[in-house]
Amino acid sequence: MEPHPDLTISVIRGLGWLYLLMSLLNICWTFRSHKHDGYYNRMFGIDHLPKSMFWAIYSALLLVLAAVHLVFSADASSFLLRLPSWFKVAADTVIANPISFFCLSLVIFIAIIALRKWWVQPTVAWILFNLSVLFLAVSMTDYDFRQIVGKPDNVPIVGMLYLVGFTTWLYFYKANDNDERIAEGRPLAEKELSDQVLVWPDLVYSEMICMILVTSLLIVWGVALQAPLEEPASAVKTPNPSKAPWYFLGLQEMLVYYDPWMAGVVLPSVILVGLMAIPYIDFNTKGNGYYTFDERKFAIITFLFGFLPLWVGMIVLGTFIRGPNWNMFGLYEYWDVHKLEVLNNVNLSEYFWHGLGQPLPKPDAEAPGLSQVLTILSREWLGILLTLAYLFVLPPLMAVTVFKKFYVKMGFVRYMVLANLVLLMASLPLKMVLRWVFRLKYIVAIPEWFFNI
Amino acid sequence: MSDEKKKLTTAEILALARKKKSEGGSAEAPSSEAGASGESSPADSESKPAAAPKSTADILAAARAQGGGKKESGDEPKPAAPKSTADILAAARKQGGGAKPSPAAGGAPKSTADILAAARAQKAAAAGSSPSPAKAAPKGKAPAKPAEAGDLPALKDMVAAVTEAKKSGAPVRPKVTPGKPVAGKPKLPKKAEKTTRRGFWGIFAAATITPFAFAWASVSAIAGLWALGVARFMMPNMVLELPSRFKVGPTSDFPPGTVSEKFKASRGIWIVNTDQYDGRGMIYALASVCTHLGCTPNWLEGEQKFKCPCHGSGFYITGINFEGPAPRPLERVGIELAPDGLLEVDKSVKFQEELGQWVDPKSYELA
Repeated sequence: MEPHPDLTISVIRGLGWLYLLMSLLNICWTFRSHKHDGYYNRMFGIDHLPKSMFWAIYSALLLVLAAVHLVFSADASSFLLRLPSWFKVAADTVIANPISFFCLSLVIFIAIIALRKWWVQPTVAWILFNLSVLFLAVSMTDYDFRQIVGKPDNVPIVGMLYLVGFTTWLYFYKANDNDERIAEGRPLAEKELSDQVLVWPDLVYSEMICMILVTSLLIVWGVALQAPLEEPASAVKTPNPSKAPWYFLGLQEMLVYYDPWMAGVVLPSVILVGLMAIPYIDFNTKGNGYYTFDERKFAIITFLFGFLPLWVGMIVLGTFIRGPNWNMFGLYEYWDVHKLEVLNNVNLSEYFWHGLGQPLPKPDAEAPGLSQVLTILSREWLGILLTLAYLFVLPPLMAVTVFKKFYVKMGFVRYMVLANLVLLMASLPLKMVLRWVFRLKYIVAIPEWFFNI
Repeated sequence: MSDEKKKLTTAEILALARKKKSEGGSAEAPSSEAGASGESSPADSESKPAAAPKSTADILAAARAQGGGKKESGDEPKPAAPKSTADILAAARKQGGGAKPSPAAGGAPKSTADILAAARAQKAAAAGSSPSPAKAAPKGKAPAKPAEAGDLPALKDMVAAVTEAKKSGAPVRPKVTPGKPVAGKPKLPKKAEKTTRRGFWGIFAAATITPFAFAWASVSAIAGLWALGVARFMMPNMVLELPSRFKVGPTSDFPPGTVSEKFKASRGIWIVNTDQYDGRGMIYALASVCTHLGCTPNWLEGEQKFKCPCHGSGFYITGINFEGPAPRPLERVGIELAPDGLLEVDKSVKFQEELGQWVDPKSYELA
């Protein structure tokens, strides 16, 4: 008997129930499609073919799939419906590499923005949802995937991803609608289809129903999944991998690229202060009280970039992909403590001085304090210069080039705050890329003063 | 002004309480014996009209005046507040006492004893007794404190008097009008020496028996105990740190090219024997604290590196950082060969490579 079987009877049964649920959902969708989607005039030689026919067939297939899973009782290892290994290898190769992972998240982010008219259509969104659930279900036939995604710690994160998807969809759906209305000169949806309701009974009843549903969900959850307790804490034994709570995994990921004072103090403070500063920087009154994308593109793209790839993406990375020794592992990869990754990295000053063929200037411990300071500063002069340029030269430069319109509209103070916030936000992906591409550890590395950037 | 009102209230409460007690047939109200007059009438009817600030004195005066049977209402001369108590008492005694010798307006301190003595004397003479409120004892400063605030012997005496009165068949409080106590007519004399014994026990009794004092005393006592309890936490019952100097064993325990994890769990150090740092074979002790954010790295024998599970920092066997975010090498702690041939580690000193401290011979021991 294999100690880590990809499939067991209980997994197959569970998948059967999942497929059954999916089938039921799609039967409902078939009815909806029958009502709204209309007909193909001519398809497969049949005139007037209702579009809902495809959903009916799909639901029936899911039902058969569920039945197969539920009645299967032979040896689990002989079950044929499982993820092909070529897919696993391909997916792991893409995901376990930080560059391809980050590029993938960027591609998804750009697609969300660029294809917003297409993917928010209900049918398309429903297909995407189905695909994601099918992907999860098929992946569950892999032992390592099950260990990661099925961990009680991580189950809520999967749920959270669906919530993020839904709210993003909801926003773009409403924003698209309004953008079309504005373009056509029609009144906004919020004005025309005013959905004002009475507090009593509409709102109160809705709240009560939500309350009951959430309570029952929590009870089921609490009974079904055990609390993820670990061994007693020990000051000298750190769990491997050692993960922050899921909502701080973005910070933990930043810590891989930055010194603790930067990733743990400066950048989080900038995030908080920056979010507070948004109302003072963004004086665009459009979009006030209604959904829109076209009227505030910059604001929304900037926010979504900070939120989706840089925060949610980092949570996904930290939760599902970071494994022992904080190495990156594919979704279907065994968490091997001894996985070797070449992570050597070098400081900018080392690149510079070794490039010149000179040894790194080393402060003489005997020398007076001032000369030590000067030695250290001269060692790191390039990094310091680059950092200062990034923070002080780039904003005026942007003011006369890419952000010219902003600068004219916003005035000096507002513009400088905005430019610095944007630059600080961009510093994380920039540093990540520098680390991956050039194996650059720190731009300014002064361990003597605990000052590293 | 408010002070006097307060006192009045206390007195009233006391009086009420005493009344209740005596109605219940209990003889626990010794002070009720102080009064001698057989006749008493509600004091409040006369005293209430009096102005608030004067009222204590007024009540006392009126009560005493009535107690004496002269039925003089509160028309007695009412001097200014400070003087009034003594004056009124004197007047009252004169009027009420008749044949009895007057206390001659003795100062406040004397009067309690005097009154008590008088009461006892009267008791013995005529078993007729009338209740006298606590404030009959003009203690000047603290009229709120009842007569039982006197010294203990006096208290005993009073109890004895009550018991006697009961035995003799006379009611303890014959004609108490509900609501207001009536001041008795003290018969003075003797036992003036009691005043000298009011020191400690008097204060103690005053502090413990009066409800307010009692409440505050309890609160302060509890708060004091609590403060002591809190202070106890400042001295936890434990050893804060293991001694920073400890023996790890003979040099032969740490063969060349090895990292000993023997003391990682208990002391947070690795003992390393290697020649990779500067070519000389040396034994040194590395603190098992990652220089990035303080997690505990693991020694991976196969990869010959220390690897931190939190953010992936990696260190060579020498302790030099080479991968991940750790900005500087692991720290060495002191090590030396003790006279008995065992290696002794001193965790109270540390040596940082980036500060050039690893050349310090205290940071290693040549193997």
